[in-house]
Amino acid sequence: MNNVKNRAKPFEFMQCISILKSTAKRAKNLRELRDLIATVSEESIFHHTCQYFLKGRIREYTNDFAHWVGESLEESALAEQLSSIDPYEFKSISELRTAILTVIDNYLENFPEPREALAGEEFYFNETITIVFPAHIRARNLAEFLIAIRYIDGASIYYHFHEARTRLGGGIDDFSKWFDEVLGEQELAKRLWAIDPFMHSIEGIREHIVEIVNEKVKKDMEITGVEE
Amino acid sequence: MIAKYAGIAPKGDLILLQKLGEIFREKSFLHINSTRTGGGVAEILQRMIPILRDLGIDARWEIIEGDERFFDITKKIHNALQGNFEAITDEMWQYHYEVNKRNAKKLNLEADAVLIHDPQPAPLIEFKVQDYSESDNVPWLWRCHIDVSNPVQEVCDYLRQYCEKYDAAIFSVSKFARSMSIDEFIIPPSIDPLSEKNRDLTEDEIRETLEKYKIPADRPIMLQVSRFDRFKDPIGVIKAYRIVKKYNDCILILAGSPASDDPEGEIVLNEVREYASNDPDIHILLLPPFSDRDINALQRSATVVLQKSLKEGFGLTVSEAMWKGKPVIGGATGGIPLQIVHGFTGFLVHTSEGAAFRARQFLNNPEMVKKMGERGKDYIRNNFLITRQVRDYLSVWYAIKNNEKSVLEL
Repeated sequence: MNNVKNRAKPFEFMQCISILKSTAKRAKNLRELRDLIATVSEESIFHHTCQYFLKGRIREYTNDFAHWVGESLEESALAEQLSSIDPYEFKSISELRTAILTVIDNYLENFPEPREALAGEEFYFNETITIVFPAHIRARNLAEFLIAIRYIDGASIYYHFHEARTRLGGGIDDFSKWFDEVLGEQELAKRLWAIDPFMHSIEGIREHIVEIVNEKVKKDMEITGVEE
Repeated sequence: MIAKYAGIAPKGDLILLQKLGEIFREKSFLHINSTRTGGGVAEILQRMIPILRDLGIDARWEIIEGDERFFDITKKIHNALQGNFEAITDEMWQYHYEVNKRNAKKLNLEADAVLIHDPQPAPLIEFKVQDYSESDNVPWLWRCHIDVSNPVQEVCDYLRQYCEKYDAAIFSVSKFARSMSIDEFIIPPSIDPLSEKNRDLTEDEIRETLEKYKIPADRPIMLQVSRFDRFKDPIGVIKAYRIVKKYNDCILILAGSPASDDPEGEIVLNEVREYASNDPDIHILLLPPFSDRDINALQRSATVVLQKSLKEGFGLTVSEAMWKGKPVIGGATGGIPLQIVHGFTGFLVHTSEGAAFRARQFLNNPEMVKKMGERGKDYIRNNFLITRQVRDYLSVWYAIKNNEKSVLEL
């Protein structure tokens, strides 16, 4: 069971915004993309993969590289392969970078002459400066958490559900961690942890969290075994 | 003032604005451009300065003065940066510098942060006040509002000598950023949801505008609001309307204000009138300056809003219409794709035929219009409101003061 100290620890919602910085580097074909992925900063790789979800809506692919390869170069097979790389599976950005390069190199071996992007449709490498700040909301129990999660900004969900996976490592998110370590709700943590970050927009993630927590709160409130 | 945005702008943006306001309380933040009225830059500054002041920041807005020759030169520089060939001689560059030098003597350039807008006042960096502040670093930022994705290289290179003396440059879209030795931030423009152009209107106010311009309200309206400029493709819009008209009886409105600094405006307007060939269902409206409420009403009354530009710096009319719940059909160029997520908040098109096809989809599928319109409004709320732009400017200032660490905690 949880100790008293842990029970008293509320969940403090934080959120973040990102200020976009240009690297002034751009690729107009797959080889240039590959060479720049090999040399740009880790912040740039992070931005185009992990921060993809901050855009707040689901698109066909799951990172900017895959999106550009699919949409602008029309290399759908490669786009699918790049899209299936889970950035949160890697211990470091360096490992993630290697994985992306391996996929592109393998593709280039089989299809050595991919088309060029049209003028104006080049891939522009950016990176970000992230500013993290408190959302001024805290939850002391599941019922309060349920109210909060319904109306906090999407950027707060991104910070605790997506960004936390990189910050904490091991694919853990802040919400599951709090459920598990502070509330002792392992089952709930497991259910939340099982939400696939790739398959939903931020609003979709919010809906799933609400559904799961709502179910639990409702169940906890129900009086069972009442006799007539 | 900030309180007025509660419930409209994202809550997180307002929290961060207040935090940054506390950090920069009583610090002076100077903006300089070349005009107090007309154009998007002045429009944004008119709304932004009161917000900054409300946050406790001592925001000032100055303009540089110049004669006809100066503005003739800067117009040529502007055109060259947007890709039209213009020869700027050494003598012209020298005059550009001299006018800025004269302005530097008259203006108070002492501030804790300085934001210079566009190429006209760019040489002011040469007159940066040293050691004004107790802190050793007064950031001077150069903000480029124009599409410099394909500039006349020679002009771009000359201007670079000024730009690279700034602490950082700010562009609206990634593809406009140049390879420079200073940091380059990407901050798109924004709209003010509380301004006369974007505030909610009553049905009576909308009706008044339609009556004023004698526009019948009995059929769906297709609308494009923009200057009469070939880059806005008004002829292409009429072509699209004619294709649509075969299947859907509708009205087309092309609305724009005359621009005194654009000698081509009248020529294009005449071309458009001729091409419209007295079709009674095509309404070409030459709106007087400060027609913000009428533009607002027209956008709210339209079923199909177009911005079929062939070249576009950003195209804030797209955000304006989307804020009113109207999905927009826009040219896939410049800053328009940043606002329209194809198939989600509107459609991006390349041809008149494409525009016509999407317009027909809108006219025949009100449910799709409603859904896309709702998503679009939400998208603008999260990305293109003025509170976000102020937040971004202050964040860049904060990041520079903190040696640009990649993660900053407040």
